[in-house]
Amino acid sequence: MIEALFSQPHYLAAKKALDAVALRHEAIASNLANLETPGYRRVDLAPSFQAELQRACASGDKARIAALRPVLAPDPNALPASRDGNTVHLENELLQLTQNALTHALETQLVTSTLLRLKLAITGRPT
Amino acid sequence: MIQMLSGIQHTAAALNVERTRLDVIAQNIANAQTTRDAQGKPYQRQVVVFETALQQSLATGQTAPEASLRVARIQKDPRPPTLVYRPGHPDADAHGMVAMPNVNLHEEMADLITASRAFEANLAVVRSARTMAMQTLAIGKR
Repeated sequence: MIEALFSQPHYLAAKKALDAVALRHEAIASNLANLETPGYRRVDLAPSFQAELQRACASGDKARIAALRPVLAPDPNALPASRDGNTVHLENELLQLTQNALTHALETQLVTSTLLRLKLAITGRPT
Repeated sequence: MIQMLSGIQHTAAALNVERTRLDVIAQNIANAQTTRDAQGKPYQRQVVVFETALQQSLATGQTAPEASLRVARIQKDPRPPTLVYRPGHPDADAHGMVAMPNVNLHEEMADLITASRAFEANLAVVRSARTMAMQTLAIGKR
């Protein structure tokens, strides 16, 4: 009964996306940390995660959304930035960092608004 | 331990390494004119070598990569010393040539800028992690 409150598909999806954003921040942190390590290959969220999340949301299957696990993988498409084989581009990473922070703001607001709506439905008055 | 700021351990390691690099650059610039070290030879430029163990831990399938950026070693630049004609110098050889350190000031300055920019990039990561943590803590609040 109480489970149903927190298991709407879009709420679950927002939580998963938030997990993914936190993990992505870790990837960007490690990329920027290894800006000058020879032969380092940049890591990012595995591209399959985005596609899987979209498909799971479209299907509306809660179990399928809940089973998703974001993972990091070396970026296969990144080109070397210099002759030492390092594939991290500083500008690109900083751009991704900002983008990721904005996505995080959006998703926390999504989660917050869901919780506030629930609260409104329970109490009957806006907090 | 609870992981508040994601990715902070890589960033801390990188800040440490960049600091070491700045120290070594400072040492190179300071010794740009040193013609006699402890062994009586001209100073040799030092280079910091970075290494990471992140890729290995990813390969073993761990989702949370280990913080493992570190200074592999600080090695000497093998380039030969530059010879300058200074007959009055106490370290001059029979032809009046003095072996000066293989430190190139322009090269060091360029390195210095790269290192401090890399340092700033890592600080940007910390700032953004902090903002994200604050937003996460504010979930459910208006």
